[in-house]
Amino acid sequence: MTRAPRLWETFRTGAGFALLEHARNRLALVLVVGYIPLWLTLEHWFVTPAPSRFLLRATGRTVTVNGNHLTMVSGAINTVTLIVGFMMFMTTFKALAFDRRLALAGYPRTCLLVSKVVAMTVASALIAAYATAVVCWYWDPVRPGLLAVGLFTAAVSYGGIGILLGAFLSSDLAGLFVIIMASLLDTMLQNPMSNTEADKDGLQLLPGYGPTQISVAAGFTDSATSYVHLLLGPAWFLAMWTLGMAAFFVRTRNHLGARGAPRPAV
Amino acid sequence: MTPPPGPYALRVRDVHKAYRSHKVLRGVSFTVEPGALVGIVGENGSGKSTLLRVLSGQIAADAGEVERRGTLGHCPQATVLNDALTVDQHLRWFRTAYRLDDTDRADELLDELHFAEYRNTRVEVLSGGTRQKLNLTLALMHDPDVLLLDEPYQGFDWETYLQFWDVAARLRDRGRCVLVVSHLAWDAGRLDVVHRLREGVATPWDAEALDARPTAAAQRAMR
Repeated sequence: MTRAPRLWETFRTGAGFALLEHARNRLALVLVVGYIPLWLTLEHWFVTPAPSRFLLRATGRTVTVNGNHLTMVSGAINTVTLIVGFMMFMTTFKALAFDRRLALAGYPRTCLLVSKVVAMTVASALIAAYATAVVCWYWDPVRPGLLAVGLFTAAVSYGGIGILLGAFLSSDLAGLFVIIMASLLDTMLQNPMSNTEADKDGLQLLPGYGPTQISVAAGFTDSATSYVHLLLGPAWFLAMWTLGMAAFFVRTRNHLGARGAPRPAV
Repeated sequence: MTPPPGPYALRVRDVHKAYRSHKVLRGVSFTVEPGALVGIVGENGSGKSTLLRVLSGQIAADAGEVERRGTLGHCPQATVLNDALTVDQHLRWFRTAYRLDDTDRADELLDELHFAEYRNTRVEVLSGGTRQKLNLTLALMHDPDVLLLDEPYQGFDWETYLQFWDVAARLRDRGRCVLVVSHLAWDAGRLDVVHRLREGVATPWDAEALDARPTAAAQRAMR
């Protein structure tokens, strides 16, 4: 087999199995199918529709929106970030030894990492689309397509955080706790329904800031779209993934020559 | 650096490894020829697994040299598998890792170790013994020149244990270098050479003396 088809086959095999692994993550599937509608339904029932003021930084204007709908946008971000963050944490955490074995056997490490990103991207897109569909069941966001994109960027940013935590933490409970707390704090601090100071400077540093701005703009306006905000979630992913990737390369390094070349004395 | 001539498959020279102040390996040296079935024995905590991790390239030695001629197969002590995938999916993934055109050798091993019926079973529902068979198969499926096996028969029943030694002997007869780590000396009679790891160094064990006193040898190894 020549080099290019073999590389493609190598990548396809890795990406296919990475995706299959997500599909067979029963807890994540239960969370997607059950937790997203449950969370959003509870918010729909119990949160007041009283008007709430949200600072859309893309336009610099404050929009006054239905508090119930705003909380559902915030809740959708919360659920997708929790689920994708958790999925990526568990898959990174559990697969470290297996990935090292694959790498030492000769599987290209870049291929392995890119396969995981492709699988995460597909899973995030599906989950974001599903969460958008649930939101649309209860009310009509102005731009549902953009809302799905906003949720997708939220999902990938926490996917990156999950990968980083999976590479460094030594306990699955610790990883789960950090992801839950980070996601909750992130969404609570940015929602004016739970934080009256949600327009304060400094919140731009949160990983969910860009995705929240995009999602709120998508839900309640027909024109305000900031491409910078659109890129913030993926930028968070890239930063986290780069750190996680560096750790992966260090840990899966072959200290001998791959083909048995002599190693000089240290 | 050009290695001196000599029919070796694996040469370990003065390998040191410490975890902080705990010196595990204090100058391990030995040579393994092609077509040899070699055992490394030692008490719990004597550094057998550390030595194997150095030999397989997973960790770097603090000092010393490891020279290997040819491809490597490594069977870790704990099964390293992906629970979400089936046996067959493992074989396909490692086939691409080893850049093999087919899984013929793996298929042979599935038959030899009698677990072909689990080909389409997900690993999470396999018994400990069958998981270990797959663990071993992944180390052997590319027919490597040098094999490092860390207690590869844990969880095997008696029949599979014997099958494992048949497989190992056939590999040796085909000129492969097979290094088996065990903390027991039960297998001494099946090995061509035995090295004992003690106080951080490897010393050769007299196989004939072991054959003459297998019970005493085993007891010594277990102490």
